[in-house]
Amino acid sequence: MAVIIAILVIIVLIIGIIVGIYNTLIAMIEAVRNNERQIDIQLDRRYKVFESLINVVKNYMDYERSTLKDVVSLRNQALSAKAQGDTAGAMAAENKISGILSGLNVVFEQYPDLKANQNALQLQEEIVNTENKLAFAKQAYNDSVERYNAKKKSFFQAMIVQMFAGKLDFNFLYWQLGSPEDIKKREDYTVKM
Amino acid sequence: MVIGVFILLYIGLGFLIDLIINAEKYPQAPLGVISQALATGHLIPYATFITTGIAIISLWVTYAFYDKLMLLGVEYHEVTATNAKNLLEKQLYNTIEEMQVAAGLKYTPRVFIIEANYMNAFASGYSEKSAMVAITRGLLEKLDRAEIQAVMAHELSHIRHLDIKLTLTASVLANLTLIVIDVLFYGVLFGGGRRGREREGGNWLLIAIVILRYLLPLITVLLMLFLSRTREYMADAGAVELMRDNEPLARALLKIQNDYDGHQSEYADDYRRTPHEQVRREAYIFDPTTAGISPKQASSDFFSTHPNILKRLAAIGFNK
Repeated sequence: MAVIIAILVIIVLIIGIIVGIYNTLIAMIEAVRNNERQIDIQLDRRYKVFESLINVVKNYMDYERSTLKDVVSLRNQALSAKAQGDTAGAMAAENKISGILSGLNVVFEQYPDLKANQNALQLQEEIVNTENKLAFAKQAYNDSVERYNAKKKSFFQAMIVQMFAGKLDFNFLYWQLGSPEDIKKREDYTVKM
Repeated sequence: MVIGVFILLYIGLGFLIDLIINAEKYPQAPLGVISQALATGHLIPYATFITTGIAIISLWVTYAFYDKLMLLGVEYHEVTATNAKNLLEKQLYNTIEEMQVAAGLKYTPRVFIIEANYMNAFASGYSEKSAMVAITRGLLEKLDRAEIQAVMAHELSHIRHLDIKLTLTASVLANLTLIVIDVLFYGVLFGGGRRGREREGGNWLLIAIVILRYLLPLITVLLMLFLSRTREYMADAGAVELMRDNEPLARALLKIQNDYDGHQSEYADDYRRTPHEQVRREAYIFDPTTAGISPKQASSDFFSTHPNILKRLAAIGFNK
């Protein structure tokens, strides 16, 4: 009787351990999958952010270019009017320039960070942030693959993985650069100014 | 483990109160019998229940209002993804999001900026879901992007290791323990006159209380120090793990240390003028007392909540 109970207890214990390992591995597999998608999310984000940044910059630069053109032509008008002794015409042109500039000021006040220097810094920050997030997403993915692989291949776990190979055995690839040429290219890369 | 010791200490204290109450009720019974009766439920340990209830309520309140509590007495504002006022604040929020991605955390903590010149930061909260990090204006302005990122990686590691909850719980229990033993001590001191002096056991209890009154503060302090120091090392290691680089964290720690050395008296005033600074002490990335800033001037390495800066640098493998 006592022997049967002992055997039963041992069996229950073993089943418990197997269930525990199974659940842990499943959680790890899902974590890896989620982290894989996280890379996609960051790639998607990068695409969208950069697209909208480019548009903003384009619009802003167009605006600046046309404003500058307006100012230059008005300035020429004013100068030529002055040369011809047409003070009223010169005044009118100068007033128009002031109008444009005050309009520009309004734009600046609406977007206090739209000053050229600040703008570049912000752009840089946005790019750094986006690229960092992408890199960290890849890092997190590789970390989770490592954790899963280590668990899967360790003793005892490996036996259970064999028992449920269809559900527990996956071969996730580490994120890495593809071909040797690709790696070489990046290794040799230097900044050219 | 440390939390277990705190809980045991606290429950033991409640039990002691029960013992005292019942020793008064049944002057004839020896203490051993009373404690046995209490432990087996023949006598209901009301005081233990009451003190435990108080502990549960205060823990609950702390968990619910941790953000308000931790920011007591300072001027602060919250930074979100959309309301960053300038590039620095935006950068701060971005670095936190980056480290969140690296750590695989599912929630972004709330971010607060404390308007103060000294350089410090801390994390707090109940879980990953309801966590916060706070950083002083001084830190934000004096560190570069990588260094802020390292500090945030340190704080997020605290969140990831659930140190935030541990520290909150431990400090609440420690404070309660001290309050209870104080109440007990003065109660016995001033109210003990009517107790029968002839009783042997009563004297033993009295002695125990007096000893505990002076021993417990020491024990709680040592436990808290052990807790926060090991956790600091772990968070430093976690930060390096997330960054894959120990240099930014080392630079940040050195900058903070140098900054403190340079502005010691000024910052000491700042800290002293800030009410409720004690609640943040264990949570800070950098313990002001290690820089000799403390109301009591007890600034030896032994009583600091954080390890010595050189030891921290050595632990993350950075040798200057």
